[in-house]
Amino acid sequence: MAASKTPMRLRLYVANGAPNSVLAVANLAAICKKHLRFTFKLEIVDVLRFPRRALADGVLVTPHLAKLSPAPIAKIVGNLSDRSSVLIALGIRT
Amino acid sequence: MNLTRALRLVSTGPERQALQAGEVDAVIDAAGGNVILLPEAKRALSSRGGEPANSLLAALPRQDYQRLLAELELVPLACGAVLYQPGERIRHVYFPNDALVALLVVMEEKSLQVGLVGREGMVGVPLALGVEQASVLAVVQGSGSALRMKAAGLVEELGRCAPLRRELQRYAHAELVQARQTAGCGRFHEIEGRLACWLLMTHDRVRADRLQLTHEFLADMLGVRRVGVTNAAMALQRRGLIKYRRGEIRVLDRKGLEAAACRCYPIVSALAG
Repeated sequence: MAASKTPMRLRLYVANGAPNSVLAVANLAAICKKHLRFTFKLEIVDVLRFPRRALADGVLVTPHLAKLSPAPIAKIVGNLSDRSSVLIALGIRT
Repeated sequence: MNLTRALRLVSTGPERQALQAGEVDAVIDAAGGNVILLPEAKRALSSRGGEPANSLLAALPRQDYQRLLAELELVPLACGAVLYQPGERIRHVYFPNDALVALLVVMEEKSLQVGLVGREGMVGVPLALGVEQASVLAVVQGSGSALRMKAAGLVEELGRCAPLRRELQRYAHAELVQARQTAGCGRFHEIEGRLACWLLMTHDRVRADRLQLTHEFLADMLGVRRVGVTNAAMALQRRGLIKYRRGEIRVLDRKGLEAAACRCYPIVSALAG
């Protein structure tokens, strides 16, 4: 549940400035604010600036959100507009 | 890149679903090792408020720009990347959005900057003059993006699009003037005024007050040793015009910097458009 004391580690891969990426950042910000309060660590990776990083991490498309911890890890691709499926994938809602 | 090609690269899984739902901006081509933007993302990233970020492209009639866009590919340019070596065949031309590219003459294992290309210009001007080989070293000095076009595509467009031809001729002249001024500037003007001039030119192209400039770059810019760079930068800092530290220069007083710059700046900037 979101009440867990260990911060959730998230990494969002975006193509900075592109419409779906802008939307994904906004959607994720709203989700974090409402459901995770301050118990998360988020890193945003711009694949246009760091393409090798995306390649090394096995990212195929942007936007791509990776939940790194706590286990189980998860990935969600797309602009994160379907909030309920994002919450389920992150393990915040069952 | 069209959707069909994107779908081929991403054949299964949630990535494909997101792609089909129109929720994807870019596909990472693992085999080619690059990032390929989908058309809508490309349009959004290559324009600001509907206008192309690059001034040469923005000056074209809308329909010409739209046609060109199909042949333009948005590419990230990382600081230090070499676009052309002198004598090398030009394969692509680059219209920078927010990237900054230095043109350098290399002699006796030293280099001197003879041009700076940002959003006002294009890298690959020889092609617009019918020459297929690069004459200078073109190195990315400020990371950012640019729209890239194949050389053959540009040559074809030059034959059909008079406004593009006109813009590139005007720009080629501006680049020529810049190189000529540099020759005279290096011979007759003081380092401090020359540094102020190049900083203003960089500032115009980057449109940000913090300029990421390495010591090597500044030395190349002026064709002097690093100690000369330090002295000139410290002098400008003492006058309150810039804040200088290794790797970064902040423009504090633009008007003051214009007053401190050598007479080359108004000449070159008037042509930059």
